[in-house]
Amino acid sequence: MNTMQAMSIGLADLLRDDPRRVLLGEDVASGGMLGWSLACVDDPELRARVVSTPLIPATMAAHAGGLALAGLRPIVLLPSASALVEGLAGLREIGLVASRTGGDRSAPVLFVAPCGPGFGLGDDASIESTLARLVGVRVFSVGRSSDVLRRLADAAAFGEAEEPTVLLVPRMLLTAPHDDVPGTDATTPVQRARDGRTITVFTWGEALGPVLAACEDAEIDASVIDVVRLAPLDRDTLVELAKDTGRVAIIHAGLRAHGLGAEIAALVAEHAIHYLDAPVVRLCGDDGVHAPADEMRCVPTSDRIAAALTELASP
Amino acid sequence: MEATAWDPEGATWVLDTDGRLSDTSVAAGLDLRSYYKALVAARCLDVRLARANLPMFASAAGEEAPLVATAFVARDEDWIYPGLRDGAIALVRGMSFDEIAHAVVHQPTLGLGSASLRIGTGTAALGMHLAIAAGQAHGQKLAGTKAITFALLGEGTTTTAGFHETLVTAATCDLPLVLVCRSQLWPAGAPAEAGVVGDSVVDRARAYGVWERRVDGADPIAVWAAIAVAAARARDGKGPSLVEVAVTQLMHDPPAHRDPVERLRRHLDANGQWSATFQDVVEAEVRTKLDHALSMARGGA
Repeated sequence: MNTMQAMSIGLADLLRDDPRRVLLGEDVASGGMLGWSLACVDDPELRARVVSTPLIPATMAAHAGGLALAGLRPIVLLPSASALVEGLAGLREIGLVASRTGGDRSAPVLFVAPCGPGFGLGDDASIESTLARLVGVRVFSVGRSSDVLRRLADAAAFGEAEEPTVLLVPRMLLTAPHDDVPGTDATTPVQRARDGRTITVFTWGEALGPVLAACEDAEIDASVIDVVRLAPLDRDTLVELAKDTGRVAIIHAGLRAHGLGAEIAALVAEHAIHYLDAPVVRLCGDDGVHAPADEMRCVPTSDRIAAALTELASP
Repeated sequence: MEATAWDPEGATWVLDTDGRLSDTSVAAGLDLRSYYKALVAARCLDVRLARANLPMFASAAGEEAPLVATAFVARDEDWIYPGLRDGAIALVRGMSFDEIAHAVVHQPTLGLGSASLRIGTGTAALGMHLAIAAGQAHGQKLAGTKAITFALLGEGTTTTAGFHETLVTAATCDLPLVLVCRSQLWPAGAPAEAGVVGDSVVDRARAYGVWERRVDGADPIAVWAAIAVAAARARDGKGPSLVEVAVTQLMHDPPAHRDPVERLRRHLDANGQWSATFQDVVEAEVRTKLDHALSMARGGA
């Protein structure tokens, strides 16, 4: 089983768990281009809750928000995270519903969106920086195939404020084999993916795999932190994790400038600078726009990561 | 009746310029005196707010009929998503003067939303409230209730992606959604921002396969009747609709028969249902309560 197939089964389980949940999308009735809705379509009990819409890029988020305001829990399956940029105005509006109504109403919609390199579509890596600026919108990321069902369940559970939520799934993971690893704590917004004492690495999404590989290959004593919930950040936990080692590296895919890494670097500088033994290191994808054939250049390689971490670890 | 340059072409009416009702069956089921009182209250609200020099306030004087009619046709379980100048909806649905005053003073660009009165909050993105309303209607349909959703807009909004995508979605998914569009009449030619060459929004709805009617906004009875038919269709599962109401803003100083309040007053007067005292009592009640509420909202005693 690969990640796409696992997600299809996970989405069907979500619909069985809560009758308010509906799948929404342009091609969900036929399973979708990634097959995410296949298990729901195949189940006669669930098929009525697989709702096709026309292509409505500007208003899909707002339409789903209206469904949520009517008491449903829509799960919108998007073909690409760039669809969220097309619908940004609507996503912003439904994020503001709770504050505008004094908490009387909320729009708990889950958007599941593939992002980053894969199929020549790597131009939306680090889209989290755009989404994280929206007030009242939560953003979750998946770093490993084995985490995808837990992230899906976490994102679909919503918080007390029932905020609209985006789950970003790297395309790189979609065709990877899915081997479920039981026993990880599913409810923490920040997850330690590897133990270590010399360096704290904050990473997420596409970069988590290369970071873990680099630490193993170069035998780096790094604590690797998967920053699962990218918005809102669990600021206190991130600061404490930075203080633990005093050496911080922030590694993510996509563009470096104006990225979420800059926000975390500023957080560490504001609240943990007296605990640091070295300047904060940021490592991202290659700068600039890449041709589709070169799309993997937006993810830092494990060789570059190993070199940067080795230098940071040296006294 | 003799049409003037102020009267819309191709818009249905039943109440002529002198207030004579050409077809009494059209008003069946409508309490005309209550309807008139609500129209007067809406006008008083507008005039008072205009005089209060509130920032970001835009008058809807002359456009009350589609607002009051929508609130009259809607049932308690229905949702209404108004535009930003549509305070009359909240007034007719029973929002207190204190709440209205607080909202127009402190959050003038978001409309008068209320979860308990089932009035949607406005959006900053133009036309986006239509998409949220369509989603609400979609939820009502999937839940299998008889409840429906109304959304109000002006003709300027008919250029937005929100309007077009909403029509497509409502038609494709057969949603219980009633769009009520006010088209302002511009005898000297519409400005570019009106977004319509000529003044027919119904043509656009028809192109999407959405049921439509175009009525004269100076005739409150025709407006109510058209919205009532649209709502009945939606409730019966016959799908979405758009009612275009051709309105005349009083700020352009049109002839008196273009004023929907005056048009219905003439009708009531001719049938012995109106008096100057009745008028004074209705106006005084709104003005006294609203003045007090506005003074409180602005921090006065």
